[in-house]
Amino acid sequence: MERLQYILQDALVNIRRGGWGGLASIGTIAVSFVIVGIFLIITRNLGALVAEWKEQFQVTVFLEDGTTAEQLALIKKRIQSERAVKAMTYTSKEEALQSFKRELKGKDSLLEGLGENPIPASLQLRIHEAYQTPEALRQFAAFLTRLEGVEDVLYGQEWVDRLASAVRILRLLGLSVGLALSMASLLIVSNTIRLAVYSRAEEIEVMRLVGATKMHIRAPFLLEGMIQGGLGAGLALLLLFGAYRATLWQLQLTPGQIFGVGVGSFLDPRWATAMLLAGASVGAFGSLISVGRFLRA
Amino acid sequence: MIQLFHVYKTYARDVEALVDINLHIQKGEFVFLAGPSGAGKTTLLRLIFRDELPTSGQILVNGRNVVKLPDRAIPHLRRSIGVIFQDFKLLRDRSIFDNLALVYRVLGIPSATGKRKVANLLKLVGLSHKVQMTPYKLSGGEQQRVAIARALMNDPLLLLADEPTGDLDVDLSMDVMRLLGDINARGTTVVVATHDMDMVRELGRRTIVLKAGRVVEERP
Repeated sequence: MERLQYILQDALVNIRRGGWGGLASIGTIAVSFVIVGIFLIITRNLGALVAEWKEQFQVTVFLEDGTTAEQLALIKKRIQSERAVKAMTYTSKEEALQSFKRELKGKDSLLEGLGENPIPASLQLRIHEAYQTPEALRQFAAFLTRLEGVEDVLYGQEWVDRLASAVRILRLLGLSVGLALSMASLLIVSNTIRLAVYSRAEEIEVMRLVGATKMHIRAPFLLEGMIQGGLGAGLALLLLFGAYRATLWQLQLTPGQIFGVGVGSFLDPRWATAMLLAGASVGAFGSLISVGRFLRA
Repeated sequence: MIQLFHVYKTYARDVEALVDINLHIQKGEFVFLAGPSGAGKTTLLRLIFRDELPTSGQILVNGRNVVKLPDRAIPHLRRSIGVIFQDFKLLRDRSIFDNLALVYRVLGIPSATGKRKVANLLKLVGLSHKVQMTPYKLSGGEQQRVAIARALMNDPLLLLADEPTGDLDVDLSMDVMRLLGDINARGTTVVVATHDMDMVRELGRRTIVLKAGRVVEERP
């Protein structure tokens, strides 16, 4: 218990003596983590958007007029036995017309001259995500077109796919930028701790000569690094959250309103905790580098 | 307590600091390591508390071969040894109390016990009234005594003193030697390195004389 108290005391003394150097460490980590955090928030939200669109993605199969009930049953059976199909709903000509009228609402006089119902019956297919690749969809569409009684197949998947790959690229970019910035933070923390170590060089020498273990010597510096890293990451989270709320307020939105449910959210608590831990780890690692180098010398 | 077998220490460029040293110091002994500066006294002491490794030879301290000691076992060895350094190695930016407290914190002694120990040792060396002063406000002799007190913080089985009377006048030197004699009388093995041959002769203790890295004389 007393040991812990000493370690904490020493760490705090180091931080106080460190002054601007310590603040520079905290600041650099904060800036790095803000940038990483922005990437995280954007990719997370775009990712959620893509997932939602993929979930909603459907293939529409238009049927020829005059398709008999037997033919329809056969088509349904053939389609349902396909592994790509998650769910299927049938819309008859009448239902399609009704829903079209509902959409026109009040302007349905436009349809009066039509006489015969021009809208075909259709099948709406939900597709398993694994089959939502361009190649698989092309093949699947070709198969559907060949079925007797099928007039046309409609699917618009390419742009979802493009968005998904954009998210992937963004994620990769975020990861590399994050990694580079973490390295920079690591070096700056390690430099700050190096100064702290050198300012205590005499004390460390005496401690070693009277039989202090390396861990005993390392502990306060390790804690100092972790505190700096954690504070930096915490500051970044505060800044990010402030910016996030300000953006929502500017756009007159409430969380989750952008694009629909589940999108437009901040980092969830697990990610926030992960960022704090990552900050502390960067600090700890930077500290270990400096102290380790000193103890070896 | 201490045994050295054919110990050589050669620094870079063939500087022979120690040549074929064979020594046996019993538990509870008081031994002078005498000789002019540069004779290898400090090197010999540093080999004993494993601040350096010999180029060849074996060194046993309290039954342990310190040459083969793994790095992580070094702290344990040093906790059984008290060292009084030639340059004292006191921390100038903190009080006498804090200088001694550093040791009990390293050793993990509870602070209540540690504080009592600091008080007792400062009484022993006659510096109780200066506990809150920083080292640079003390005279050389007083700093020497603080260094002695610190070396005793861990109740060492073995006390190594490197020129403990180096800058002191004859009276103060005798005070310090009396103090080391008292400590020895309580059962601690004491090894004192010194260049002061007059003092060594006067005290008549067992003496090992080093010259240019070799043992040239042993008496009695």
